Amino acid sequence: MTATKKMKFMVSVFAFAVFAFVLPATSLADLPVPAHIIPPVGEHSGEHVPQPIDFPHDRHVNDMKINCMYCHTYARRSAVAGIPPTSKCMGCHKMIATDKPRIQKLTEYWEKGESPKWKKVHDVPDYVHFSHEKHIRKFVDKADFPVEDVQQVCGLCHGEVKAMTVAEKVKPLNMGFCVRCHEANDGPGDCWKCHK
Amino acid sequence: MVQVIAGSVISSLTLTVVENIHRMKMMKGVKVNRRSFLKMLGWGGAGTALAGCDMPTTVTLEEGKEEVVSYLSPEEYVIPGVGVWYASTCTQCDAGCGLHGRVREGRALKLEGNPDSPLNNGKSCMMGQSGVQTHYNPDRVTSPMMRKGNSLQAVSWDEAMAELGKQVSSVSGDRFAFVSGSLSGHQSVLTSELLSKVGSKNHFAYETINTSIWQAVSKDLLGDAMPVIRYDKAGVILSFGADFLATWMSPVHNAGEYAKFRQGERGVLVQVEPKMTLTGGNADLWVPAAPGTEGVLALGIANIIVSRGWNKVDVPASVKTELAQYDLNKVEKITGIQGSKIKRIASLLSERGPALVLAGESTVGQAKGYEAASAVMLLNIIMGSVGTTIEPSVSFPENALAAKQGNTSSLKAFAQGLSDSKYDVVFFYNSNPIYSAPEALGVESGLDKVKFKVALTMFPDETALKADLVLPLNSAIEDWGTHVAAYQGGSATMSLQQPLMEPLYKETKGFGDIMIALLSKLDEGYKQFPDYYAYLRTSVKNMPAELTGGALASDESFWNGLLQKGVLKTTGVTGSLTATLAVAKVGTPTDHLDQTSLTLIPSARLGLWDGRHANIPWLQEAPDQISKVVWDSWAEMHPHTAAEMNLKNGDIVKIESKSGSIETQVAITKAIHRGAISVPMGQGHKEYGRYAKQTGANSLSILDPVFDHKTGELATHATQVKVSKTRKNQILIKMGGSDVQMGRSFVRTVSADQLRRTEGGA
Repeated sequence: MTATKKMKFMVSVFAFAVFAFVLPATSLADLPVPAHIIPPVGEHSGEHVPQPIDFPHDRHVNDMKINCMYCHTYARRSAVAGIPPTSKCMGCHKMIATDKPRIQKLTEYWEKGESPKWKKVHDVPDYVHFSHEKHIRKFVDKADFPVEDVQQVCGLCHGEVKAMTVAEKVKPLNMGFCVRCHEANDGPGDCWKCHK
Repeated sequence: MVQVIAGSVISSLTLTVVENIHRMKMMKGVKVNRRSFLKMLGWGGAGTALAGCDMPTTVTLEEGKEEVVSYLSPEEYVIPGVGVWYASTCTQCDAGCGLHGRVREGRALKLEGNPDSPLNNGKSCMMGQSGVQTHYNPDRVTSPMMRKGNSLQAVSWDEAMAELGKQVSSVSGDRFAFVSGSLSGHQSVLTSELLSKVGSKNHFAYETINTSIWQAVSKDLLGDAMPVIRYDKAGVILSFGADFLATWMSPVHNAGEYAKFRQGERGVLVQVEPKMTLTGGNADLWVPAAPGTEGVLALGIANIIVSRGWNKVDVPASVKTELAQYDLNKVEKITGIQGSKIKRIASLLSERGPALVLAGESTVGQAKGYEAASAVMLLNIIMGSVGTTIEPSVSFPENALAAKQGNTSSLKAFAQGLSDSKYDVVFFYNSNPIYSAPEALGVESGLDKVKFKVALTMFPDETALKADLVLPLNSAIEDWGTHVAAYQGGSATMSLQQPLMEPLYKETKGFGDIMIALLSKLDEGYKQFPDYYAYLRTSVKNMPAELTGGALASDESFWNGLLQKGVLKTTGVTGSLTATLAVAKVGTPTDHLDQTSLTLIPSARLGLWDGRHANIPWLQEAPDQISKVVWDSWAEMHPHTAAEMNLKNGDIVKIESKSGSIETQVAITKAIHRGAISVPMGQGHKEYGRYAKQTGANSLSILDPVFDHKTGELATHATQVKVSKTRKNQILIKMGGSDVQMGRSFVRTVSADQLRRTEGGA
């Protein structure tokens, strides 16, 4: 091994150590962690992404106690959790809070027959196949975890959404983050499970 | 290493390795051998894997850079990320297979065969699979264009349709022509309507790859043009150039039936042809008779059969006497096939029956092609195939919807009309004769005499760019239609084509939409239909009970059922077979005895087809099924012929017929007759988008204008060419590299005789 190669190797080991052992100590989520899951480790300080409508997650989740999967209904059925169809928003907001400017803006979209063009906050590269459905099945359905507490499971990757207005990315969602969680929770370890 | 992470991992890994190699090559005295190359590759890969996992996610993951738009008000069954399959119909060739298309988030992503279609039973071919690349092709015409001065310029649909209406309503009926490929269903009905409103009888349905001569002979000798061919009932198939697994009649359907023929008691397939086709490659015995002598071989086999009394049907003495002139020595001499082999074929037909004998392009593509096919049909008759492996046709009960099949005699008639200045307005739909017609027919120069040429097309092909008005069509995935395949193997089905997604471009229209708009200008009655969908919907509603199998067509559930299944199965009209025994006066080519010329074979392939799929990258990069050559054009030559001319793989040769010349690289193969040279058709486009343009050579263009004397079909295998060496050479790109094992026993083989002796085989 030449000196440079040795150097590179050492740097990698150090970086691994930092991510694996140092960071967990600094990150303690306020959300209770379900007992049957060893949580994934890693933090990310996401940028605030301006959205066409300043959607208040906190109002819906915290104040109104609406389940994540009431709106993100595709999470248990598909690879993507999906942005709720505008018709779903209007299902409530035809009647509720119609005097609020944000709702008026939403109604404008609805009447024009358009959906707001939201900006993507959470994403993985095209060569990664991530499935919400599989994770919900393992950690909620098969684990007999109460569906009403599903935000504790969602929060493992999406953070404490109930404290946010528009969503922010607070977990790195990179390969190290995924792989360590897969190792800890007996998730599949084959390359092709995600890279297919 | 950070650089590696920043790009797509795979591509930048490769880049880094290539860069390193380049850098190392620059270093004086350092050689990159295989070992150091692999070492480098290993280091690059390992480094990426270790460091990559926890690097900041910067690969397409910028927060807030991409948009995500929700559905406004989706159907119950629509789930983002989960595909929904819709039934439709394939239009990549005219076989009319049923399709299922997977649609996700409003985009068609994958095409497969429709299991409900009795034609293809859920299977599809490479051309069908690549329908998505026709649809998403970046070279589509996206707005109407009109010739102004010397160039085509984008115009609005209003302007285009106004001009079209003016031209069509002012042209006198006999000076209007409509050139298309094979047509069926309601598109055919509308085309006929347009022609009758204009008062024209000039519909030229033109397909280079067709089975017209087989059908003509079937009609004359069996009394039924489209008998059902029961591959599954046959014990032995003798095919004279009928490439039924790839290009003949209905390839996907045939392949399914062929599988049944090979299952159980395995059927024997013998293929006679000068250049090995996909079917030839599957045969138990491949017989390269001298090009153009297949008719003689068929009669020679018939002679052996009747002289030994193997015939299953009584043969009159007069026929026996006529056949007797095709004695074994003579046939052996003319065809170049060993007598023992000819006898073996005759005994196979007799012992391993029921027999089925077919005739395809290399046999019938001759000046006396009709006679050659008749000689082949004689074998069917004397072997008792008629009624056993050849059954009466089953045709679709509604004539107006039945297929108008394309052929090349219509091309001949159209070219004649052009040279006689017969037309003022010509429509082209699904047809590109400037590319696919032999140059000697003068289609391109003849079109100069036509005042107004209209191309209804998806792509800027050779014919479209010569037109005065180009109307951009929706892709098959974006359009409505109905299709009744000409050959259905015993079923009578109409297949529905429905859009799998919204049109990609705002300014394209469906073929039916344009026809309805045009007909509305000529007939008030069509104004009730805002578009083709409305017309189709009304037509289906009014379908008589004998077509719907008793179901009430006006019922909404009938239409929904049709959308779901994609096919309407009905009771067909069964034809009848009567065999006429006669010995055809087959020809023998005299030209091929000339040692200096070779017979040109413009071979048709499942893939680029007649050139219409040259703009599909998947099909361009799929290697040839037999020669394994990838990309470009090539000329297949027998090793002996190549050696005589001192040619090696990749040498560029000039191939010259009386009508023109092309240049392409040599690919040496044993799967061709010594007296032939084969340049697959489909390449050599002068236009037709970035993937097709200027790639290879067009072997159709140099065909001599020789036609079958009886049917007027283009004799595709009757062109003699001189081949000469140029000084140029290029690397022949080929999958597999070598045809031989270089003395290493990768594949162990044992001769049939040895197997019989040692394994006790039958």
